[in-house]
Amino acid sequence: MIERSRTFDTVTYFVMAVGLIVVIAPFWVVLVAGSQSLQEVSRIPISLWPSNHLMENLSEAWRRADLGPKLLNSLIVAVGVTSGKIVLAALSAFAIVFFDFRGRMLSFWLIFITLMLPLEVRIVPTYSIAANALSPFQTILDTLGITGLVQSLTGIQIGLSWNLLNSYPGMILPLIATATGTFLYRQFFMTIPDELVEASKMDGSGPIRFFTDVLIPLSRTNMLALATIMFVYSWNQYLWPLLITTDRAHYGTAVMQLKALIPAQNGTPDWNVTMAGALIIMLPPLLVVAFMQRWFVRGLVSTDK
Amino acid sequence: MERRAYYRKNSLPWLLLAPQLLLVLIFFYWPTTQALYWAFTLEQPWGGGNSWAGVDNFLAVFADDRYWTTVLRSGFYAVVSTALSMAGALILALFADRALKGTGLIKGIFIWPYAIAAPAAGVAFRFMFSPEAGLIGAINKLWPGIWDPSTIGWHALLMVIVCHAWLGIGYNFVFFLAALQGIPRSLTEAGAMDGARPFRRMLDLQLPLIAPTTFFLFIINIISSFTDSFGLIDTMTEGGPIGATTVMVYKIYFDGFKGLDYSGAAAQSIVLMIIVIALTFIQFKWVERKIHYS
Amino acid sequence: MKRHWLSVTALALTSTALVSAPALAAPTKFEFWYGLSGDLSEKVQQMCKDFNASQTDFEIVCTSQDDYDTNLQNTIAAYRADKQPTIAQIHDAGTLDLMLSGAYMPVRQLMEENGYKIDWSNYFSGIASYFSTSKGELLSMPFNSSTAVIYYNTDALAKIGQPLPQTWEEVETAARAMKAAGYDCPVAFDPTGVWQWFEQFSAIHNQPIATNGNGFGGLNAELVFNRGKFVDQLTWIKKMYDEGLFVHKSKAAGETANDAFEHGHCQITSSSVADHGTFSKLADPTVHWTNTMLPVWAGTDRKNSLVGGASLWTLKGKSPEEYKGAAAFYAFIATPKQAEWWSTVTGYIPVTNTGFEAMKAKGFYDAAPYKGRELAIQSLTFTPPTENTRGIRLGNYVQIRKEVGDAIAAVLFNNVPVQEALDTAVEHGNAVLRKFEKTYQGAQLP
Repeated sequence: MIERSRTFDTVTYFVMAVGLIVVIAPFWVVLVAGSQSLQEVSRIPISLWPSNHLMENLSEAWRRADLGPKLLNSLIVAVGVTSGKIVLAALSAFAIVFFDFRGRMLSFWLIFITLMLPLEVRIVPTYSIAANALSPFQTILDTLGITGLVQSLTGIQIGLSWNLLNSYPGMILPLIATATGTFLYRQFFMTIPDELVEASKMDGSGPIRFFTDVLIPLSRTNMLALATIMFVYSWNQYLWPLLITTDRAHYGTAVMQLKALIPAQNGTPDWNVTMAGALIIMLPPLLVVAFMQRWFVRGLVSTDK
Repeated sequence: MERRAYYRKNSLPWLLLAPQLLLVLIFFYWPTTQALYWAFTLEQPWGGGNSWAGVDNFLAVFADDRYWTTVLRSGFYAVVSTALSMAGALILALFADRALKGTGLIKGIFIWPYAIAAPAAGVAFRFMFSPEAGLIGAINKLWPGIWDPSTIGWHALLMVIVCHAWLGIGYNFVFFLAALQGIPRSLTEAGAMDGARPFRRMLDLQLPLIAPTTFFLFIINIISSFTDSFGLIDTMTEGGPIGATTVMVYKIYFDGFKGLDYSGAAAQSIVLMIIVIALTFIQFKWVERKIHYS
Repeated sequence: MKRHWLSVTALALTSTALVSAPALAAPTKFEFWYGLSGDLSEKVQQMCKDFNASQTDFEIVCTSQDDYDTNLQNTIAAYRADKQPTIAQIHDAGTLDLMLSGAYMPVRQLMEENGYKIDWSNYFSGIASYFSTSKGELLSMPFNSSTAVIYYNTDALAKIGQPLPQTWEEVETAARAMKAAGYDCPVAFDPTGVWQWFEQFSAIHNQPIATNGNGFGGLNAELVFNRGKFVDQLTWIKKMYDEGLFVHKSKAAGETANDAFEHGHCQITSSSVADHGTFSKLADPTVHWTNTMLPVWAGTDRKNSLVGGASLWTLKGKSPEEYKGAAAFYAFIATPKQAEWWSTVTGYIPVTNTGFEAMKAKGFYDAAPYKGRELAIQSLTFTPPTENTRGIRLGNYVQIRKEVGDAIAAVLFNNVPVQEALDTAVEHGNAVLRKFEKTYQGAQLP
């Protein structure tokens, strides 16, 4: 800090303390409730101090929601989405920001609009697509009359089919098809000074060289930030995996299991087990965020100071 | 936002864009177009067929006064949750930026809410705010009925909005803090030398400089209040009581997916899309041009 | 998939073992999606396991989709994508949509084609009529059937010294006495319990919910429940609520009506007879309870109550082998042994006359913990079905149910006048019906 002001420091500490309480309260309640016995958690008012049943609640939640394989599935999906997104979004943002071509704004808007219509409102047709990801091409071939032509010429019926239900690609690909990453890269690429581009041009290197030698190294921290964002985003997906995995035993993810942990309509209200389960399910993205925090914050700082 | 230096190639950018565009076309535009087609037809839920309906579905939606209530409610939800979350995060970031001794760890904790899945937060908040259990239950014992989101609409709406704002704090905080730390030190030092008090400096110097971030976050927050609210509302209130927490996305989901009225839901999603696109477009045209990217 | 040559006879109905030629290949797999969760889901899984163990030709894969609504939605999404299960469990409110969809194979046809002889007249008429065509052909397989009953905490009744209430008047007296005796919550009330508080009330009191025999006569039916006895009933419920005799208990309120009853927090609740088993298992040991048929207002000519629960629909677009499997599964669950096991462990009622008589003859209903369940059958078969008690055949009924639930909640929580709330619900509900009629223009009820 540049100079000290005692009153202002006090204000600072006070605000930080209030903020801390607000932010941490729900975590605390989850932890406390997750560590209590059924009797303790049903008490009104509830004690705000942890009890000693955490381990048994955790293992009960682990067993009830079959969390072992579910956490593994979540991990596979999260890593798949994260890596796919980092690569694809960088490429597309590069094209949109650094190239002058017809259709530049169109492409940008085509990608950007996907931010606006959430999956929930187009879930039925998206499900159909997941059942056969190649059906658009089939329809195109059909309408162009190519299917009929080929069939009459060769006798072969073209039937394109790629079923994504109950599969990792089905859980991963539609999540990559969103704009968050592109938008973030774009915001960052916009801050790259024109001089860098010009310098690179003067060296005689082309766009690919510029991308690999200048942009990628410059955006390393941004990538880490994006990776964090995408990991959290995909780990926390709820409705989509719920819909396209009917084979829950093999393809269910951890967050889906929250519903299985909420006290059933006719069961005992064992919120302690629910909270213990929530704790486990919340932990991986929390760890990623906590661990990546340094890069996460720095990756979002514009570099042109 | 215009750059001066560009590469001029015609095929390379398309190649770079191809994978992303392909995915977007298959998994977004194709199904969306299909849904949009339903808006002009009466679609049978089991897919047995449909009949052309013209703009009837839209007329029916617009004639329903409850739909307009939902639109207003969504606007209220978007503005209040965004304002709460961004203001809270901004205040925390401004003070955290002072980097006083012992606040480093706290800074890290401020990011935590970002990592939490909406349904998980929904479950936790529902437990906390449940009128009969846990925390609020104690207050209700003293003053019966003072808090009851299960019957009083605005209590429920407030509960969901607070939870939404809480979830957004972490994300907003990170971006604000990053932006503040991105302000060149020389500028702040110059301000200090001019004798500006810390509080003045925040208002006059730091806030204008982080305007691009504020704009970015504003868009992201508004959009997220339209989209991410789903997981929260579904786990906390299911749109109730008496529809008091039904926002546009939830209504679309309920009417279409639960109520099996695919056509009415499709018409509503067109309206939603037009509203959001218009909003964003205005922002882009007016705000991004005015805000100066340093 | 290998073909299996089955020599299945009507024997399959009476024995759990299916006869088949030596199967060299893997058994034919087929899917069954259902909408039960928790304890009931475990029972379904047990049933599937038993079926798979009983024979070697088929393997049923049973998947819980959490609840009826979700199961209906997911089944529709899957059907549209041509990935549907062979069997789907669809609840009462989804029946008409499915009937008009043409997406199913009638169960009678399925069983006949696969060589099973089933005496369809053996099914309770109230159950059969809900899932049958106008000509009486059963379209889906009755599976988990129930009706609503009312449960009382007997200790609370003893404390106020009142016999089991049979009429709503007596319920009111009892509730008042309980309140006076210090019980905070005499009656647990969940406004989303439209099924027991509204539909069953209308049936028992012979009130039409909609014209055209509740929709059985055609798609042009119109809602009329804003003109009948339900107006008075809701007025009464509101009075009871304001006096604190009915207390709001629901998932949203933090404790469901059933939970409140199980733990002795509330003394009276109305719910499905299927919860009879749940209460036996989960009620606190200190809570003693019993049940009766739903009360009527004094002087009412009581009619039969409506069947609730769900039935099993066989969806189109599957292979003959899978249909063979589905038929074998239906035959399996219809065996007396299975049917008895199912209604013993769940509380769902036996769906056939002979099944019920057999269990009665055994003395099943004579003692705790099963005593009281026979009242559900009595309620269901109290009179032959009338125009108003055959069932409800209205399009997109899920939305109409929600309208009624919202109307009840608006009256209770927001003090909206009863007539105004019901008029609104009827108006919005009719809009749903008209849209449905247009969507299926020209379609005939089967």
